[in-house]
Amino acid sequence: MAQTTQYRSLKNNEVQALTGQGCTSDDWSRVQVAEPFDTARLRNTQFSGDVRIGAVGGSAASTTGLAKPAGIYNAYVADCTIGDNVRIANIGSHLASYDIGDNTCIEDVGTMQTQPGAAFGNGVEIEVLNEGGGREVILFNELSSQIAYLMCVHRYRPKFIEKLTAIARSAASAVKGNRGSVGTDVRISSVKRIVDVNIGDHAVIDSAASLVNGTVLSAEDAPTTVGADVQAEKFIIGEGSQVTGGAIVSKTFVGQGCQIGKQFSAENSAFFANCEGFHGEACSIFAGPYTVTHHKSTLLIAGLFSFYNAGSGTNQSNHMYKLGPLHEGKLERGSKTGSFAYMMWPCRVGPFSVVLGKHKGTFDTSDLPFSFLDATPTGKCSLIPGLNLSTVGTVRDGAKWPTRDRRKGVVKRDRISFDVFSPLTVGRMIRGSAKLAEIHEKTEKTVDSINFNGADIKRVLLRTGQKFYRSGIHMYLLEKVLSRIEQAQGNALSKALASSPDAVYSEDWLDIGGQMMPRKRLDDLCADVESGKIADLNALNAALDKVHAAYADDEWVWVKRAYKQVFDQDVDTMSQEDVGKVAEDLLAVNGKFLRVILGDASKEFGEMTQTGFGHDGQPDDVAVDFEAVRGTYETNKFVKQIEEQIKALEGRVEKFKAQVASA
Amino acid sequence: MASVEERVKEVTARVLKVDTSKIGRGDQFGADLGAESVQSVELVAMFEEEFGIEMNEDEALSVDTVGSAIDYISKVCQEQGVQV
Repeated sequence: MAQTTQYRSLKNNEVQALTGQGCTSDDWSRVQVAEPFDTARLRNTQFSGDVRIGAVGGSAASTTGLAKPAGIYNAYVADCTIGDNVRIANIGSHLASYDIGDNTCIEDVGTMQTQPGAAFGNGVEIEVLNEGGGREVILFNELSSQIAYLMCVHRYRPKFIEKLTAIARSAASAVKGNRGSVGTDVRISSVKRIVDVNIGDHAVIDSAASLVNGTVLSAEDAPTTVGADVQAEKFIIGEGSQVTGGAIVSKTFVGQGCQIGKQFSAENSAFFANCEGFHGEACSIFAGPYTVTHHKSTLLIAGLFSFYNAGSGTNQSNHMYKLGPLHEGKLERGSKTGSFAYMMWPCRVGPFSVVLGKHKGTFDTSDLPFSFLDATPTGKCSLIPGLNLSTVGTVRDGAKWPTRDRRKGVVKRDRISFDVFSPLTVGRMIRGSAKLAEIHEKTEKTVDSINFNGADIKRVLLRTGQKFYRSGIHMYLLEKVLSRIEQAQGNALSKALASSPDAVYSEDWLDIGGQMMPRKRLDDLCADVESGKIADLNALNAALDKVHAAYADDEWVWVKRAYKQVFDQDVDTMSQEDVGKVAEDLLAVNGKFLRVILGDASKEFGEMTQTGFGHDGQPDDVAVDFEAVRGTYETNKFVKQIEEQIKALEGRVEKFKAQVASA
Repeated sequence: MASVEERVKEVTARVLKVDTSKIGRGDQFGADLGAESVQSVELVAMFEEEFGIEMNEDEALSVDTVGSAIDYISKVCQEQGVQV
């Protein structure tokens, strides 16, 4: 509402008119109005306490978009400040202790009230990741995936946690108050109960069942929707999100650009940017950016996920009737679970892996990213290292995430590193490859399979895994060097290959709630929090932003060290000839990779895939039906993209080699 | 020493758990012998070990029949100087 609004007391004739229209007040002198004021816009309303009413000459849009006259009709309004051109109509019980922004429409609401000392979901502690507690995340409006991750996961840094908790509590307490707020252009209708809930600008609350102790963050450029039959308590919902379709949300944080609905239920869980939860259930999960679960009978429990897609019927167990729900599990970024995949926690799955089957044992495959994990009939994990590197799904996922960022607002709280190939994943490949080589060396040829941290790997696949990883490592390092030189056109080679003086190197990289960084960056940040150098939320966010901004520089330093380690060549002293060789090698390794991807894609059009097509027809109808529905390999959009990528790569390398030759 | 064909069939039988005598040159690994996608990776690994060769993944994984595997492996053995 406008800060400059001038209010005045009601005139006697206005009080008389209002009384004649069924309005009452304990004390009319405590009801103030702004100009223009029209008594006809206030009917059948009881006023209690201090009520300020803005201009009522215009109209406000309802949830259906229909513009209706501003004013107050059939309501009990207590201690509220109401902005200009607000419509409040048909309040069953009361509307109390709210500041309401301009052009807002509140209709058919049972109770809407703020109680003294309301916290609006801020300060609520949720038992994320470990259902038994001990990893509580404190909710506050500005909570990011990074801060939540550190608060939840890094409990082995007690001093840091103590300071971080203080920062979170300070941020949470800043919103505590006796009055709630509803922003401008908000549309609320047919809600039974809204108690202690702040609602941001342009939010739509349509037919929700009950909202208690929470905040709906919303902005003009990222409006938020809370829809039909939603029950939410102790919650914060971020800008641009949609919580709809009878979702039940309790002690839960829903970040920006999320979609929760179709009767999904979530408890003690945190969802960050662009998560989607439909039909299923989440209990004590940390859903990092792009965690997606769409199917009924899917239970995600006591787990850490990000860039994750849950197959139907996916579920996990976090206790076995011993000491309670103590166990937790981690599926690192980019992992997927197939239909009815089950894991008995504790387990840890390395990045970009696929998990199928019913796993009844504990395993840790974090050093074997891009792997394929199936379960034997006895529930033992059987793993093919690196197989997922060359599957069409991984490539498609990597391309789709950045294009599906639904966060449209200016403020994007979660810092997201999208790269599939990065120092994190390639570092793991280097480490994994070395381990596979070591085991392969030591294993007799008579051995059928070996055990790797709880997962069985067939001996012959130890070598295959190394081959897969070698391709991935080479492709990444060669691509980074080549693109670095390409981007620095016109500069001397040595300058193009130089590192930033501010870059930080760590062999080990971490994925902090979707933000990748060298370990040293995080250690420094944590030390600054512990020492008090970073003492408030603004400083912490600034530090995380700085780390995020340094990603490319830090990555380059890492690439150079890894290049030396893998190819035994110093990038800084590369000659033009060496650079030409980089281009040729990239063409070979990347071209081969893309052809393997195409080969994998072609399986989607094979004879076996056509099973069930041509139903009720003749044998010849199978292919015709399949083509009508799925198209052909040759015309498939993704296949064409990959083919174009191969051509582009060839053209790029040719151009580069010509440039090098003429230099 | 057994022929390339016999050795290919022997490895195929072991990986896919089928009877060697029932494997023909024209059989497709997937449609006829029941190889799943991931088993083709194991087959390639087993062929590499059996013959002491290194195969190109994109070429090897595009081989779909027993006969073409025999031909391809024979070619790779020749290229890599492996006596068969």
